[in-house]
Amino acid sequence: MDDSALQIYTILFVAITILLVYSSRVFHARRASPLSRGALPGFKRLPGWVGRAIESGSPLHLSFGSAGIDAENAAVAAAEAELFYHIIQTVQSGDVAPVISASSSATIPLCQDTLRRAWPGEGRRARAQWLPQGQRSMAFAAGLTATMPAEQPAAHILAGSFGPELALILDSARRQGQGSFAVSDQLEGNAVAYAMADEVLIGEQLFSAAARLSHDSAARADASAQDAWRGILIALMAILMLINVTGQLGFGGLPLLVGVALALIALGIMFFRSR
Amino acid sequence: MSRVQSISIAFSAFIAFAVGLLTLLSLLLGDRPELYGELADAPEIARLLALPAALLVRLVAITSAVTIFIGIFNLLYVHLHRVLRGAFFSIVLVASFALTIWWYWSRQGDTTLLEAVQVPIESALAALLFLSMVQGGARVLSKRADIWGLLFVAVMVLVLLGSLPLESMEPLEPLRAWSDWLLAVPVSAGARALLLGIALGAVVTGVRVLLGQDRSYRG
Repeated sequence: MDDSALQIYTILFVAITILLVYSSRVFHARRASPLSRGALPGFKRLPGWVGRAIESGSPLHLSFGSAGIDAENAAVAAAEAELFYHIIQTVQSGDVAPVISASSSATIPLCQDTLRRAWPGEGRRARAQWLPQGQRSMAFAAGLTATMPAEQPAAHILAGSFGPELALILDSARRQGQGSFAVSDQLEGNAVAYAMADEVLIGEQLFSAAARLSHDSAARADASAQDAWRGILIALMAILMLINVTGQLGFGGLPLLVGVALALIALGIMFFRSR
Repeated sequence: MSRVQSISIAFSAFIAFAVGLLTLLSLLLGDRPELYGELADAPEIARLLALPAALLVRLVAITSAVTIFIGIFNLLYVHLHRVLRGAFFSIVLVASFALTIWWYWSRQGDTTLLEAVQVPIESALAALLFLSMVQGGARVLSKRADIWGLLFVAVMVLVLLGSLPLESMEPLEPLRAWSDWLLAVPVSAGARALLLGIALGAVVTGVRVLLGQDRSYRG
């Protein structure tokens, strides 16, 4: 594929995404309830941690990891700021402001902004914390595990960009009896989160998590647009795979292709309705 | 919300939208004279179209450099607060900060302190990380006592055994073949699926920011 074709496809892709986001917003505009949290079991223990934080006067610790608004993973930082906004709102009645940490210095203003919007009370000035990452991410994990015990957080909500260093943070949380929720845009971080965190979200759930906690129709619409794109991609991949397989089999090509495609579509609809 | 606030929100959303769209179009259409076919001044058009993106991306790089100072100020502010409360690690941090600055200035940019302290400590932590991960992997079944937890542990053990550098042990050969197949087919497919999902989420979030619909622009 040459460069000009790639550019045309990119523009088309962005245009279709804008169309999907706007049409989802129109579709969701009248609905006022959040998406079902049941679909994301990762939030099961969140109310318990919020309750513990409020009752015991301990903060929640929220972390962006290395997600930065000046880096390739800027979208991760924006999505997690939205998630943190909704989580902080649930602990508004507590006495202690949550702590937000990040290893990208460009994310510090985002941390401050999220706290300013979501936490109406006092004591939020020193709650956004920068932990420099250095050449490797170990310095960030070391900084967190050294400074967090003093805060005694009720739980760690680690949503952003984390690599294997997540293991040290989660191990420290477990030793101190603190809850942990983790999701990362990195594969290594996902694997470690699955093995070690109390609650975990996987992959793209990172971007739709805020919609599960929010009553905001725009957030739900974005999650639906993401689901729609995923559905389109899965359908395209399935069709390409079927064309490839029928081409190799060499008999009954088109009827077989149509039959299997219809069966797959029916299965997909049944699965979607069961959710 | 006052009228002034509403106008300022609309203005910031408009700026975000305009700058985002301009950068996107400039990156896509700029610096490619072949896109403009036989036009006589195609190279000049391509150069002009690439200019806004180059300018704005450079501006981002400069702003990122400035945020390092914000980070340092934040680090000192947070830890000086904690020093007042007697937090031991914060005292160590502030003292190390002062010592490193003094060392760097007094020895004309010598980074020995950094190399002699931070690099070995990070290496030691990397070794500790291995232990934490093995311990975490071993505890998976107590956390997730289901088929997926079992599968996770089985695959982990298989891949670990398959990676052992024991060339002469024949009984390990089938394990090595299974391990290679696992890494090449299901693990690779799963990783691609995860990355595709993350990329789609990033695009939708990017569009939300581009349209000025992010919470930062909503006041």
